[in-house]
Amino acid sequence: MQIRDSLVIEEVSQIGDTLTNTTNGSYSLWFWIALLELTFIIVLIFRLKKKQSKLPLSEISKRDIKGKPTTQIDMDNLMNSINGARDLYKVLSRACHPDKFIGSEKHQISEELFQEITKNKRNYGRLQELKNQAQESLNINFKD
Amino acid sequence: MWYKIIEIADWFGELAERYRLIKNFNRAAKHSFITGVAPTLLEAKITRGESAYRHAFSKWMGGGFRIKALSGRTLERLELIEIGRVILDNEELIRRMISLGWDTLEVHSNRGFLGLKWKLQDHANIGGFID
Repeated sequence: MQIRDSLVIEEVSQIGDTLTNTTNGSYSLWFWIALLELTFIIVLIFRLKKKQSKLPLSEISKRDIKGKPTTQIDMDNLMNSINGARDLYKVLSRACHPDKFIGSEKHQISEELFQEITKNKRNYGRLQELKNQAQESLNINFKD
Repeated sequence: MWYKIIEIADWFGELAERYRLIKNFNRAAKHSFITGVAPTLLEAKITRGESAYRHAFSKWMGGGFRIKALSGRTLERLELIEIGRVILDNEELIRRMISLGWDTLEVHSNRGFLGLKWKLQDHANIGGFID
C-alpha cells in the first residue's frame, strides 16, 4: 500500500515538473515534432483544396446535382446494344436507305428514318422501335 | 453540425448508388451470357482510374470504371472499342457516372494486358449539366 502511494506521489511530482517546464517556456522535443506535423498536415489539406478547385467541373457544386431527378439506366438494353446493335444497325441502314426510295412518296419518310437510325446506331432498344416503324411506314419485311 | 451529418449520410448514399450501378451492370452481363446473347461474360469493377482524367467529382482511388471480359471468346481490339463506344454513346449513363465520381472508362480483354481507356468528361457533352 505504501509502495503504491509513493509511486503515485512520484508520478504527480513528475507531472508537476513537466508543467513547470512548459510554463518556463522550455517545451519538450515531442511538442515541437507534433507542431511540425500539424503544420505539415494543414499545408497538405490546403494544397489539396486548392488543387481540387482547379479541376474541371469544380464550378458545379454537389448540392446543385443532388436535387436533380435520377434516371434509371436500362442495363439490359445496354447489354443488348453491346451485343446486337451493330448487326441491327447494318440491317436497318441497308433496308431503309433513302436511295432505295428515290422518286417514291416514301422517300421523305425513309430519309427521316435513316437519320434517326444513324443517330441511334448504338442503342438497341431504339433501333428495335425504328425497325417496327420501318415495317409499318415503308412496308419492309425483315427476315428474323 | 446537422449539415455535416447530412453530408456524411449523402456520402454513404452515393457509395451505395455506385455499387448498385456496378451490380446492375454485372447482373445484366451475366444474364445475357447465360441466355447466349453475349459470347463473352463481362464484369464491371471499380479501379483507380487515370489521374490525368480527374475532375472535381472524382472519387479518391476509385475513379475508374473497368469492364473486363472474364470468360468465353477472347475479344478483339475492335470489339473492345465497340463496347467502349456503346457505353460512351449513352449520355445519360456517362453523366450519371461522372456525378457518382467516375472519371475513366476502361475496357479490358480476358487475355494479356490489352486494355483501352477513355476520359468520361469528353463524352458527357456537358453544357446544360445543371439544367
